[in-house]
Amino acid sequence: MFKALLKKQLYQLNQSFFYDSKKGKSRSKGSSIAFIVFFVVIMVGVLGGMFFYFSKILCEPLVKSGYGWLYFALQSLVGVMMGVFGSVFNTYASLYKAKDNDLLLSLPIPVRQILVVRLLGVYLMGAMYSVIITVPAVIVYLMTVGFSASAFLGSLVLVLSGTVVVFVLSCILGLAVAKISDKLKNKSIVTVIFSLAFLGIYYYVYANAFNLLGAVIENVQTIGEKVKGAAYPLYVFGKCGEGELLPVLAALAFSVLILALTYVIMEKSFLKIATSSGKSERKEYREKSVKTKSPNKALLSKEFSRFLSSPTYMLNCALGTLFMPVAGIVVLIKGESLLSMLTESLPLENETVSVLAVFSVCAVASMNDLTAPSVSLEGKNLWLSQSLPISVWQIFSSKLKLHVLLTAIPALFLSVCLCVVLRPSVGVIAGMVALPFIFSVFGAALGLVINLKMPNLNWTNETAAVKQSFSVLIALFAGFSVALVGAVGYLVLAEKIEGYVYIAIASAALTVVTFVLIRRLKTKGTEIFKNL
Amino acid sequence: MLEIKNLTKTYGEKKAVDSLSLHIAPGEIYGFIGHNGAGKTTTLKAVSGILGFDEGEIKIGGVSVKEDPIACKKMLAYIPDNPDIYEFMTGIKYLNFIADIFGVGAKEREERIRKYADLFELTKDLAEPVSAYSHGMKQKLAIISAWLHEPKLIIMDEPFVGLDPKAAHILKGMMRKFCDRGNAIFFSTHVLEVAEKLCDKVAIIKGGKLIRSGTMEEVKGDDSLEEVFLELEGE
Repeated sequence: MFKALLKKQLYQLNQSFFYDSKKGKSRSKGSSIAFIVFFVVIMVGVLGGMFFYFSKILCEPLVKSGYGWLYFALQSLVGVMMGVFGSVFNTYASLYKAKDNDLLLSLPIPVRQILVVRLLGVYLMGAMYSVIITVPAVIVYLMTVGFSASAFLGSLVLVLSGTVVVFVLSCILGLAVAKISDKLKNKSIVTVIFSLAFLGIYYYVYANAFNLLGAVIENVQTIGEKVKGAAYPLYVFGKCGEGELLPVLAALAFSVLILALTYVIMEKSFLKIATSSGKSERKEYREKSVKTKSPNKALLSKEFSRFLSSPTYMLNCALGTLFMPVAGIVVLIKGESLLSMLTESLPLENETVSVLAVFSVCAVASMNDLTAPSVSLEGKNLWLSQSLPISVWQIFSSKLKLHVLLTAIPALFLSVCLCVVLRPSVGVIAGMVALPFIFSVFGAALGLVINLKMPNLNWTNETAAVKQSFSVLIALFAGFSVALVGAVGYLVLAEKIEGYVYIAIASAALTVVTFVLIRRLKTKGTEIFKNL
Repeated sequence: MLEIKNLTKTYGEKKAVDSLSLHIAPGEIYGFIGHNGAGKTTTLKAVSGILGFDEGEIKIGGVSVKEDPIACKKMLAYIPDNPDIYEFMTGIKYLNFIADIFGVGAKEREERIRKYADLFELTKDLAEPVSAYSHGMKQKLAIISAWLHEPKLIIMDEPFVGLDPKAAHILKGMMRKFCDRGNAIFFSTHVLEVAEKLCDKVAIIKGGKLIRSGTMEEVKGDDSLEEVFLELEGE
C-alpha cells in the first residue's frame, strides 16, 4: 500500500514532465524528454554552474586562511535559504490543500502513511533546490583540498543535514501559513506584499553577490570569529563539512533529532488542518444602501475585483504599476546626479536623453500586460459574459480600460518626474505625456488581440492562464521590443531629426497601429469571442 | 414568448441539434428531457444567445436572437447546469453586478434581493465570497440573480441539481408564480417526476431530434412520463 502511495506522490511531483495540464493530455515521449532535458539544463547547467562559479571564488581564499568551515557554513546557509525559498510556496498547498486529500482519507490507508508520503514530497522539493548549491560547493572543496574519505563523508553528511534543515523550516513555515491563512483577511494583498518583499531581497542579494563575496574574503577573520561566537551551531556544521568526526556526529544527531520532532508536530496537526473548511471568521451580511452603476462601470468594477483578488495576476501582469511610481521617486531624488553622470560619460545631449527617457517610460510600462490573460481568465465564467445583455465590445472595453488606468496613470507620474529633472523642450514634454499614454492603449489592445488568438479557458489553476501563458509572454516581448526599437531608432536618427518630431512620428505610427488593433478587436475579435 | 424554428447546430460533422422546432407560449412551464448528450444544453445555450447556430431561427418575444441578441438577452435569464459564478465577488456584489447590467433601480433590487435571499435563507451569507459557497448556495445565488431583473423568459439547465429539498420546493413555487404572471420557463431536467408534476408542456429530444412534444397529457397519455420516456429511448 505504502509503495503505491509513494509511486503516486512521485508521479504527482514529476507530473508536469509527463502531462500537459493546459491541453489536458499526456505529453509525447519526445516532448517529455525535451522537457526533462530543458529542466536539467536550467537546474544543473545554469543554476548549478552559477553556484559552482561562486564556490570557486570563495573556496580557495577561505581554505587557505584556515576558514574552510566558514566556507561550508556560508554555503549551507545559502543552500538552506534557497531550499526554503524554493519550496515554501509549495509546502502549504502540497501538505494541506492537495486535491486528493479527501480521496486518500476516505481510503483504508493509515493517516500516518499519507502524511509520510506528503512529507517526502516536501523533502524532495526542498532538497532539489538546496543541493543545487551545496553539491557544487562540495565538489569545489574536494577539488581544492584534494579527495579524502573523511572530507567526502563529512561533506556528504553536511549536504544531507542541509536538506533536513530545509525540510524542517519548510514544514514549520507551511504550518504557520496554514494557521495564519485561516484567520487572514485580504489574503491576496498580503501575498503580493510578501512576494514583492521576497523578490526585493532576492534581487538585492543577487545584485550584490560579488560585493558580498568580496567582503567575506577581505574580512574572513573578523566574520569567522563573529560567526563562531554568535552562531556556534554554524561553526559545528562548517567543521562537519571539513570532515571532523565529532562535528559529523553532532550534525547527524541534530538532523535526526529535528526530523523526529518535526514529524511529531506535523502528525499532531495534519488531520485537523487538512480537513478544516479553510473558512475564516464568517462575515455576516448587513444590508446597506446601494449605489447603482451603469453597465460599463459595473463591468470595469468587475475587472478591478478580479485583478485585486488574484496575487498571480497582480504580480505577473502589473509590476509596471508599482515600478513606475518607484522609478519616478528615484528620478526625483537621484535624477540630477544620474543625468550628469550620463552626459559626462556618454556623448549624449540633454534632448537625446529626454527622448530616450520617453521610450524608457514605455519600456517600464510594457511590464504591464493585463489584457494578455484577460480572456483566458474568464475561464468557466465565460457563459456569464456571453449570456448578459452586453455587447462584446463593452466586455473588451472594460478589459482595455483596466490596463490603461493601471498603466497610463503611473506612466504619467514617471513622465512628470522625468520632466522635472530633465527640463526638456515643450515639444518633448508634450511627447512625454502623449507617447506613454498611446503606448498603454497600444499595449492593452495588443494583449487582447493576442489572447483572443490563443486563449486558454480550460484551466483549473489560474497560474496556467497567467504565468504559463504564451499570450502573456508574447505581449511582454512585443511591448518591450516596440519600446526598444523606438529608442534605437532615435539613436540612429538623432542627428537628422529633432527629438520632438521623432516622438510625434512615433506617436502617430503607434496610434495608427493601435487603431488597426482596435478595429480588429471590433470585427474579428468580436467573432472569435462569440465562438469561444 | 419563445419560438424555435428548424434549429440546427453542428459540431464538426456531428449534428448536436437537428431541425428542432418548438413554441413556448406566455404562462407555460416547458420541460425539456432527453438522455445525456441528446442536445438539450446546446439548444438552451443557443436560445440564450451563448452559442451560435448553423440553421433555423430563434425568436424571443418576436425578436430574432440572430438579429438583435442584446434585446433578446434583456428579456431572458439563463441558469447553466453548473453555476460557475465569479468566485472573486461576494454574493451581494454579484447580485448588484447583475442588477447594474440589467439596469435594475436601487430600491427594486434591494427589495428583490431581500425577498429572494430570505426565501432561500442566503441573506446572512451574502457578504461571503462566492468561492466559499457550496454548490447548492451557488445555485441559489444564480436563481436569485435570474429573478432579480424580472425577465420574461427564464432558461434553466438542470436547475434542481444541488438544491436541498426545501430550496427545490421553493423554486418550484417560484416557477409556477413566475409563469402565472404571463412569463415563461424553458428548462431541462432528468428528474421526470418533477417534470411530470411541474410542466405544462414537455419536449423529448433524442440524438438532436425532437421526438415528441406537447402538453403533458398529449405526451404521456395514461402512462407515467418515465414509462413514455424509456419507451421512446428504447426505440
